[in-house]
Amino acid sequence: MSQVSPVAARIAALQQAGSALALLQATQELASCADASAAPVLVEVLGFNNPGAAVAAVNGLISLGTAAVEALLQLDPDNYGARAWAVRALAGIGDVRGLELLLDALGSDVAASVRRAAAKGLGQLQLGALAEAEQHQVRQRCLAALLAATADGEWVVRYAVAVGLESLAEGLSPDATELQQARNGLVTLSEATEDTPPVVQRRAKLALSRLEPQ
Amino acid sequence: MAEADARPPQAGEPISEQEALRRLRQSEDSSQQYYGAWWLGRMRSQHPEAVPLLQQALRQRRPRDSGAGVEENAVARNAARALGKLAPAAQAAIPDLLDTLQDADDKLREAAARALGELAASEAIEALCQRLASGPTVAGAQQANSTRLVEPCEALLKALGDIGVNEPRVLAVVKPFLAHERPVIRSAAARTLLQLSGEACWGELLVDLLDHPQLPVRRAALMDLGTAGWRPGFKAIAATRAENSLKLMALRGLVEQGNGDPGDEALLACMDLLL
Repeated sequence: MSQVSPVAARIAALQQAGSALALLQATQELASCADASAAPVLVEVLGFNNPGAAVAAVNGLISLGTAAVEALLQLDPDNYGARAWAVRALAGIGDVRGLELLLDALGSDVAASVRRAAAKGLGQLQLGALAEAEQHQVRQRCLAALLAATADGEWVVRYAVAVGLESLAEGLSPDATELQQARNGLVTLSEATEDTPPVVQRRAKLALSRLEPQ
Repeated sequence: MAEADARPPQAGEPISEQEALRRLRQSEDSSQQYYGAWWLGRMRSQHPEAVPLLQQALRQRRPRDSGAGVEENAVARNAARALGKLAPAAQAAIPDLLDTLQDADDKLREAAARALGELAASEAIEALCQRLASGPTVAGAQQANSTRLVEPCEALLKALGDIGVNEPRVLAVVKPFLAHERPVIRSAAARTLLQLSGEACWGELLVDLLDHPQLPVRRAALMDLGTAGWRPGFKAIAATRAENSLKLMALRGLVEQGNGDPGDEALLACMDLLL
């Protein structure tokens, strides 16, 4: 008797889901398998226009980590809805292969929810495996994108930029020139202006206080 | 700076403040007036002519301009909304808004009530209470041929909360609406009582609504907790089955409107996780 693996059975269940609720449940089950072979199917779910299932799929993809990245990058770039969810997944995973997609999303996505996820994600890319020169180059690009986004029209994106700048700066040595640039961006966000709500100012001030030399 | 959030009905080229004032001042084309009024509120115009022109537009009822594509009273409604957004500079318009609160058109009363709330007009308390005094089964009854209620209860209740005068006569009028059949109205009543009294029981009532089976109700309760700035609700807000965008707006309300425990750092950490 041939044994069907639990992942294969759950993939089959997902593909046969006949209602939004069934799809949600099947996605949750598949996401909980923690098995890399689920990644392409979870990525497919991102394009089904079912927000509940997409949230479950994003969480599953983030918990798969780097094993999910290849499937995420193969996503159809013309499926806007799926791409927005993929940005969130890549931001959560922090794999440097997501860099281009995150930069593009922060700079030009129409949805504030996608830009805010990208801003947070650009601050927390895992660069440890890269050579020093390459690390420097990637950080420069993240920093430039985040600094440009301190002028984003939506408060929530500027809030996420403060979070991104703080986590980017945490990984820098105390004498890095980027550290001062990140601080300058946070100072801009912490200043009271007509367009900057108190919550953004307070988040930027908190980041600055945490970055103070001990 | 022009942001594309609220969509103007007559979308076109970006216009200047002078052009917005000109459109509101003329009376040939009410769709142009409609857009002019919207623009002045959206851009929070500080021009000395803005408030007087909006007051004039507020008195412009039922133009019956068939063919212009503008509903009756649409210009007056937009004028009321704009006056609310120009608070506190629009104090001079409070008497006009109080008149408008007696108009036969409930949509216009709704816009006037919101504006009076935004202006924190304590002069309006008496009139707002009168509108609500007949309670959830009369003022809060559904109209015969529409899903709208006899009175714009949600706006009237919220205006009393925004004005923020905690008096027994206000509480007595608001409390019966906690038993309204529509959960969104119950949410509005709880929000107002929370703003007025700060008592935890009203915050807990809103937290219960965060678990309502209908998404629009959960969204309303999120916004109401945010407006009231009730910090003890932060974990329930983060766990609500709704869009993170709305939870972030609600938590921003807790940071900016609320005080006490939990402190800013815990609230901001909670927001960071929702990005």
